[in-house]
Amino acid sequence: MIRIGGRVVAGPTRRIGPQPGEVIDRSRSLTFYWNGASRAAYDGDTISSALAAAGDRVLSRSFKYHRPRGILTATFHDPGCLVQVDDEPNVRASHRQVAAGMDVRALHSWPSLRFDVGAANQAVGPFLSAGFYYKTFIKPQRLWPAYERVLQRFAAGGRVSASSPHGDYDKRFAHPDVLVAGGGPAGMAAAIAAAEAGAEVMLVEEEHELGGHLRYGDEVALSRLQELRAAVAAHEQIEVLTNSAVTGRYDDNWVAVLQRSMPHVTERLVKARAKSVVVAVGLIERPYVFEGNDLPGVMLSSAVSRLVNLYAVRPGERAVVFTGNQSGEAAAAALERAGAEVAAVVDARRGGALLRARGRGGVTEVETGDGARVECDLLVTAAGWTAPTLLVNMTGVKPRYCDRAARFVPGDDLPSDVFATGGLVGDGDVDLLVEHGRATGLRAARRALETLDGHGPLTALPRLEPADHPALFRSRTHGFVDLSEDVSSKDLVSAAQEGYDSVELVKRYTTATMGPSQGKLETINTVAVLAESTGRTVAETGTTVWRPPHVPISLGALAGRNLEPVRYSPMQPWHEAVRARPIVAGQWIRPEHYGDPASEVRNVRENVGLIDVTPLGKLDLRGPDVPRLLNFLYVNKWSKLDIGSVRYGVMCGEDGVVADDGVTGHLGPDHYFMSTTSSGASAIYEWIENWLQTTFTDWSVHVTEMTSAFASINVAGPNSRELLRRLVDDVDLGPDAFKYMQVRQGTIAGVANCLMWRIGFTGELSYEVHVPAAFGLYVWEALMAAGADLGVGPFGLEAQRIMRLEKGHFIVGQDTDGLTQAFTAGLDWLVKLDKEDFAGRPELVWQSERSDELRLVGLQPTDPTVVPPEASQIVSGANEIEGRVTSSRFSPTLGRSICLGIVSADLAHAGTVVTVKQPDGTRVTARVMEEHAHFDPAGERLRG
Amino acid sequence: MGVARAGSDLRPAARRFIHLRGAASDGQRKTTTYSAFSLLRHGLTHEKWQRAWREHEVASAYDAVIVGAGVHGLATAYYLAANHNMRRVAVVDKGYVGGGGSGRNTAILRSNYLTPEGVRFYDRSMTLYSTLAADLNFNVMFAKRGHLTLAHNDGSLRTMRWRAEVNKLQGVESEVIAPEEVKRLVPFMDISSHTRYPILGALYHPPGGIIRHDAVNWGYARAADALGVHIHQGTEVLSIGVVDGKVTGVTTNRGEISSPIVVNCTAGWASLVSSLAGVSLPIITHPLQAAVTEPVRMFLGAVVVSGSLHVYVSQTDRGELVFGASTDPYPSYSMRGSLAFTEELASHVLELMPSIAKMRVLRQWAGLCDLTPDFSPIMGTTPVEGFLVDVGWGTYGFKAGPAAGEAMAELVATGKTPELISSFGLSRFGDGLLVGERGAAAVGH
Amino acid sequence: MIRIPCPHCGPRNSDEFSYIGEEKRRPGPDTSPTEWRTYLYSKSNPAGWTTEQWFHAAGCGKFIVAERHTVTNEVRATRPKPRFERSNAGAEAGGGSS
Repeated sequence: MIRIGGRVVAGPTRRIGPQPGEVIDRSRSLTFYWNGASRAAYDGDTISSALAAAGDRVLSRSFKYHRPRGILTATFHDPGCLVQVDDEPNVRASHRQVAAGMDVRALHSWPSLRFDVGAANQAVGPFLSAGFYYKTFIKPQRLWPAYERVLQRFAAGGRVSASSPHGDYDKRFAHPDVLVAGGGPAGMAAAIAAAEAGAEVMLVEEEHELGGHLRYGDEVALSRLQELRAAVAAHEQIEVLTNSAVTGRYDDNWVAVLQRSMPHVTERLVKARAKSVVVAVGLIERPYVFEGNDLPGVMLSSAVSRLVNLYAVRPGERAVVFTGNQSGEAAAAALERAGAEVAAVVDARRGGALLRARGRGGVTEVETGDGARVECDLLVTAAGWTAPTLLVNMTGVKPRYCDRAARFVPGDDLPSDVFATGGLVGDGDVDLLVEHGRATGLRAARRALETLDGHGPLTALPRLEPADHPALFRSRTHGFVDLSEDVSSKDLVSAAQEGYDSVELVKRYTTATMGPSQGKLETINTVAVLAESTGRTVAETGTTVWRPPHVPISLGALAGRNLEPVRYSPMQPWHEAVRARPIVAGQWIRPEHYGDPASEVRNVRENVGLIDVTPLGKLDLRGPDVPRLLNFLYVNKWSKLDIGSVRYGVMCGEDGVVADDGVTGHLGPDHYFMSTTSSGASAIYEWIENWLQTTFTDWSVHVTEMTSAFASINVAGPNSRELLRRLVDDVDLGPDAFKYMQVRQGTIAGVANCLMWRIGFTGELSYEVHVPAAFGLYVWEALMAAGADLGVGPFGLEAQRIMRLEKGHFIVGQDTDGLTQAFTAGLDWLVKLDKEDFAGRPELVWQSERSDELRLVGLQPTDPTVVPPEASQIVSGANEIEGRVTSSRFSPTLGRSICLGIVSADLAHAGTVVTVKQPDGTRVTARVMEEHAHFDPAGERLRG
Repeated sequence: MGVARAGSDLRPAARRFIHLRGAASDGQRKTTTYSAFSLLRHGLTHEKWQRAWREHEVASAYDAVIVGAGVHGLATAYYLAANHNMRRVAVVDKGYVGGGGSGRNTAILRSNYLTPEGVRFYDRSMTLYSTLAADLNFNVMFAKRGHLTLAHNDGSLRTMRWRAEVNKLQGVESEVIAPEEVKRLVPFMDISSHTRYPILGALYHPPGGIIRHDAVNWGYARAADALGVHIHQGTEVLSIGVVDGKVTGVTTNRGEISSPIVVNCTAGWASLVSSLAGVSLPIITHPLQAAVTEPVRMFLGAVVVSGSLHVYVSQTDRGELVFGASTDPYPSYSMRGSLAFTEELASHVLELMPSIAKMRVLRQWAGLCDLTPDFSPIMGTTPVEGFLVDVGWGTYGFKAGPAAGEAMAELVATGKTPELISSFGLSRFGDGLLVGERGAAAVGH
Repeated sequence: MIRIPCPHCGPRNSDEFSYIGEEKRRPGPDTSPTEWRTYLYSKSNPAGWTTEQWFHAAGCGKFIVAERHTVTNEVRATRPKPRFERSNAGAEAGGGSS
């Protein structure tokens, strides 16, 4: 029912007869749900046009005062038209097209749109002035959480559900020559001209089809629209994305396009590196500030034209039109065509003024400047335009205020690869806009194709300037400046009086322009009201910084598909088959254990085990200067390393902090092979290249990353020699022929070009074999098969960690941290300060002269059954921190708990008993050991 | 571990702002107290509110000039006036109050740092924040929502436990909790083990939370103004006078000011301002980006941080999600924001909470961070006498504002560096005595 | 995403590169703590043109020198890393067994 002043004036439908430019398909009816009740619509309707056609006037309640709100702009930015659609919050009802069965619900409307308890807030409005919350709820402070919960109940917005599926999103890269943002007449013309000049063009339009304001224009506009659309369609070089928005133009024309029109994908983010960008985003009609300007039934002139011409909806029965431009006249004409009565036209250009609108739940009466009162259910305002300059401003160009046109314009000095055309630049008829668009498109194409002198001379750019417009911002009465945030012009005046009198401060204090439309409707009026209340001009006041994105973009679209890389070793199928427990180790996912780490340890100590150590960093080093490089990178000496030998080394950064460790072997003349930690692999490669390329540029060394080229297996345990002997024919594995810390190249299970080095992180006789990656799984399986009678079994990372702790080997990053220098890590035996230079040497020289440094020590809890959790603090007195436990395990070999820890210098003596505070608060004691190694400190087992 | 005891002479909490009313001399003024009653009175009478802070002519001399009207500069000025009765103090800023990092950060408060010196310092800040609304008579809306730092691998779980243990020893509430407990606190969290970055646990810090950053800036500005401090917005320092190794004052676009003390509180611009005094800093400026979504109904109580995923997120009382990430990969003074940031942010947030894919990013922005080599601030004296710095705040400056201001005020007033900040001196870099926050603070928040 | 014109590969997205830092010279072995820690920690951090090193990690693997404006992020020039004169650092310890 439509009522004016209590009289029923219309039936339940406001749908009118077919319109020449309508976008609805009357042959396809569908039904959706509005707050649980069914509503009819046509294919092509937006949610709000369908609701308007059904006579629904109130689409939401405002968030602070819970005032009723309806259609204002009939565009994406319509502030009162945010709804919940199924599980999707904050859907733009004036943009989203209706789909059959949609469950559409209003926001902020408990218990209902018609009867809203929050509306009581309106009565206390004077006490809820801008920033009121800063001035109250101060004491007692303990009650703030309670107040906060009340405030949160008023939070704007829809609902998300923990059970919502992620949905399908996608991304695409594009490399257009010319990207045109905006598919109105100027944008279409620019695209056509650019394509004619040979450019590949991407034309992006926010609405569901091309045309801009021509779509809801008169017959002339519609016929030009058909021509332009046909010309666009005729060019294969123009890719058109409708229902898509350019959300940002980032440095170097990196352009984000949100594409909503993909089938089977909720949204897609197109990332375009455009050679040139044409910004043709048009103008946004701005609201006028007066008392009652937020009532349902107050609409912008373009909203009226859209509803009538695109959706064949009569927006009201009896209208007052307040206008300062042609758009108001066009709306009045559209209303008459739609069968509505235009009761009054108040023309600001002839001195007409608008004072206030009255009504409850919608406009029922308008009071004009001369005091006349007119009954109506629709008040149309045409107060002027805002140029959405974000994309241009993202180049660093500041908007400039054009006084005579009463709007900000993009500003000059655009970068040479960014162009602006259309309404953003100035006002004109279709011919002028098309002409300007064509000339701009041609320039953009020539910039993109670098054919500045090709295709004949450039025609002059036609003059396109903003037209004069009365400065209509606020009436003599106060009204809402920001409908999304419920900020009134009175709030702005009072904020300015309180000293929040710059545009950024007033914005932050009142939250004006911070809602869903991000100032596209509100900024200019905010600036104007602030200017008025501070006695400055609009130009002096300036505008706030527009921030991307131009329209909100879903997290799903920004994320796209999850393409985080994961690395597996070639032996992964075997690990999965035996259900190894996986552990994430940086990019790698590898077996943590195969069921029982303690028994894996015992098997290695008693028989033989295999561990997949493929993630180890591996670098192939060749060239005559490799020894010099090694001498520089590592803290120890590398001058005398025979071919066939390997050596352990530690690298420090230039600050002397332990950076990485590993083993490097001398394979042949001018040929070395380096292993690094798994996590340090890529950083060490970069570190080495850095030195070679920037400092030691005359050294002849070539480095190749080999991490993924080899699968790596450590064969560890007393039976390892026997196991390997069964598969290796061409290398003498005898203890005297292949000694501890030696390397051999040979064939394993028929696979040639394998590296074998005899080293022992686990402390057992062991061989680390690197086999060409393609044969990794084969060799692993061959070892398993060949060693069945030797008790061979797999062991995982956890067993290795236990065994290395038994041996006292530290792990970089676990037993050291970002400040641990080499001597703190106990590397006195390794660091050779008598080398003339190496990375970090000066710091280590100075560290060696100090005696107060922290030390890494072996620790054994007094109670052998207590395993203090890693990171337990070592304390003295009440709570004095003296260090921490960095590694801690129960040793199956020793049958007791063992640790490494960092302690202050005065505790770092063998035999000292320290106090360890565990996370549960209990304190236990532990003894500082002579050595880091808890098991076989002499290393007899691995040398055997 | 070289642990110094917390100084026993910590300043008592700043005197209650309300007690200063009435003593209107020396540029002080009688200030309307904010309360429900005064709101009611103004609502009924339509009486105009006082300016929150006044505008002044720039005087030719001050006892101290503080450069930067962010939380650090304003707090320093406030505590100078409130705790030390130094009121001939000017805060100058080329922009407006709180226009830099203080108004661009994600307003997260916590004190669960890794080093004892860090924990003690930030805990002092939390203490001051806890009573700040009453002290300043300005509701700063500190909500102790609880703060979760997620661990996605055994290494980060170990670091979380390390932090928790150091925190507990300093009396700061902090505990490592299991994934199920994380799920209880944040029902939207995906704690399943098949995700790319499974959640193995979290460091839970119940007192951590969020605050209204602008309110803190404005509250300090208003309270400092009431005590006679001059706040000069739109006042850019063009040069700093140094004669015989001593500061003599500053030249601004609004005239010259002589002053024996100049304090640099300019965060991202710290290198530039210090270079005016000839002081070189080990600081590099990186943008830090942030973003906010459209509001939805409350669903996220705690503040959630993931260091491995470089993301932190909280939900404001308005219903928006506020996100931050790690600093940009290369230094810059640009605050234009990048697309890569929002992409990475979104993919990581959805890794944690896949069901919010339909929420939309409304706005992104950037602030400038002054990063030091050891992720700890630089506070105290410089080789130029009278030129003091309170810089190097990286991504954690806002939460430090009150304690930094209190300590810097004490340094200005007494000439002695307070024990609380003695580890953070500029000389530590030359001495090779860096602070060990490098591990935890990289993306701490 | 700014583009960096790699002197070896042409213009590429900046995420193919790692930022290394301002151009610095490493002090010789007989350095003082002050000189060394200046090398380690000090930054000029200008707001304007700066000369810096980048590593084209996802490209040619070369270290390059770029002149970039830290306010606009414009990269006005890049060049290959110049070859320094023969350095003596590490030379004593070199030799090896090859």
